[in-house]
Amino acid sequence: MATSAIIFYTIAGIMIIFSLLAVTSRRILRAAVYLLFALAGTAALYFMLDYQFLAAVQLIVYAGGIVVLIIFSILLTTHINEKLEKPAWGKVFITATLVLGGLMLTLFVLTNHEFVLGTEPTAEATVSVIGERLLGYQAGGYVLPFEVISILLLAAMIGAIVIAKRNSTKS
Amino acid sequence: MSLNELMIMRHEWALVAVALVLLIAEIAMPVEKKKQINGLAAALAAVVVVLGFLPAQYGSLFGGMYVTDPLRILMKNILNIGVLLIILQSVSWLRQDLYHDRSSEFYLLTFASLIGVNYMISSGHFLMFYLGLELTTIPIAALASYEQFKSKSAEAGIKLILSSAFSSAILLFGISVLYAANGNLYFESFELSSSLINTLGFIFFFSGLAFKISIVPFHLWTADVYEGSPTNVTSYLSVISKGSAIFILVIVLFTLFNSIQLLWQDVLYATSILTMTIGNLFAIRQQNLKRFLAFSSIAQAGFIMLGVINASALGMATVIYFMLVYVFSNLAAFGVIQTVGHASGKITIDDYNGLYKTNPQLSLVMMLALFSLAGIPPLAGFFGKFFLFTAVAESGFYVLLTIAVLNTVISLYYYLLVVKAMFINTNATPIAAFKSDYAMRISLVICVVGILVTGFYSPVFEYIKNLCETF
Repeated sequence: MATSAIIFYTIAGIMIIFSLLAVTSRRILRAAVYLLFALAGTAALYFMLDYQFLAAVQLIVYAGGIVVLIIFSILLTTHINEKLEKPAWGKVFITATLVLGGLMLTLFVLTNHEFVLGTEPTAEATVSVIGERLLGYQAGGYVLPFEVISILLLAAMIGAIVIAKRNSTKS
Repeated sequence: MSLNELMIMRHEWALVAVALVLLIAEIAMPVEKKKQINGLAAALAAVVVVLGFLPAQYGSLFGGMYVTDPLRILMKNILNIGVLLIILQSVSWLRQDLYHDRSSEFYLLTFASLIGVNYMISSGHFLMFYLGLELTTIPIAALASYEQFKSKSAEAGIKLILSSAFSSAILLFGISVLYAANGNLYFESFELSSSLINTLGFIFFFSGLAFKISIVPFHLWTADVYEGSPTNVTSYLSVISKGSAIFILVIVLFTLFNSIQLLWQDVLYATSILTMTIGNLFAIRQQNLKRFLAFSSIAQAGFIMLGVINASALGMATVIYFMLVYVFSNLAAFGVIQTVGHASGKITIDDYNGLYKTNPQLSLVMMLALFSLAGIPPLAGFFGKFFLFTAVAESGFYVLLTIAVLNTVISLYYYLLVVKAMFINTNATPIAAFKSDYAMRISLVICVVGILVTGFYSPVFEYIKNLCETF
């Protein structure tokens, strides 16, 4: 087995284990930390693909920013020692069966499909290429989604204000 | 980029401009004048609707990421009218002192969601489609928990955001499978072969959208969210969110997934039977009118699928016509529930006993709306259902047609239960007579006119059918 394959399977294994731990952990703070490792694993995969920019973004935004936000909100709203209830065995069994069934089905389909490699040469993901793509308005440019995302973020901020704002009526 | 190219995107430009104007108004207006924002928002919504009807060019922008044609413009106009009606119905509710410094957020989020609807209908790329879908849902999840002092409203918000995040994940997985198999995300150059992997991708994609339309078995969030949200948010969810998801489903099925038509016909066949039947059976048991309309709207989604199954221009035209009628009928019903709930706080069917004695006009509007939803001639709803049934019969699904007709009979029963409560049942303490505000009356009048005109004036359907044939 080539070295890259070994590295890939190691990273993938780590990601799977930590993702499983993140959703099964009964302490919410631990779940957040496990999520951090799963996200860092994704960044490692991007490095393997030579997508340095994307990997850096993944580390800064997700591992650095979002996990810290999640941990902050956990610390501000819940008790650290709080443990979730143990789920009933029946529910665990049904969920596990469904998940495994779905996984088997998807794996069966994906492994039996012959993927065709693209003929176009992969573009070098340098910062200037990414910048041109992000602001391009011809085919292959992404300026419209970029702008729509900014509307989405604005709406999300207003939504957060609506949920969090206290009523200032004098009652 | 020339002015003409900008004009192609005028729905979206107008809505973004409206949102910015409201944002600035919210910041600049002194607190004691905040109530004027209600009038401003309604006026701006009316401007957007009028702008949408002005003639303009069609075409695609941004290298095919954004597409418009007459049919998509019609879809956007239908939904814009719906939002105008909802805003008119919200005015008196938002003028309460309770919401005096939160009302502009309500409009901002509504318009943001409408921008998402417009971009989603015009999407020519999976990324734009997905962004539009998220932009449609996330602001509405915040609005669902608008009445933060009620635990049910908070519950509705959290249920909506969780179920929509779950369904988005499924949809994204479907898109990534389709991308892996086809190596392309632009709609215009998307070619699908009927292989197993495309089937899998399509099923995931469809399941994600089915959550938004609340097709059985993806409907479990619907009743709780509809009941807990403020009434006008419920009407937005049941008309605009659902309508936009149905429109984009039709577009996507008829263009992208045209080559696997036999597959999606089977999927729709099964889900439409389940959706109609389960929606109807659960609707009979409801006492709360919002839950009642939630299940009724699930059943209506099942009927709409009948039109989609007929994979032709006729099927498409019947779906759009039915949605047009549904916007007016459902918003009339929700408008009555909204104004009665606002005036008296009452929401169950038993509370409506003897409503005709005290509030005859509202009772008549409600009766018209329910008759139209049930499909009683000569109202528009009858023609909507009739065309849908014609479309099913034309494609030869007679068993499906029989089940659909049986379901219509069941739905007639429960819609008439409400009419009976209002007109026949006696009540020692009926809801006291009250006057609703002007904005609400205008919206109810528009709804009633819509129900009557779309039914009696046949060029409406002809126009939609012509657009569909050239699509």
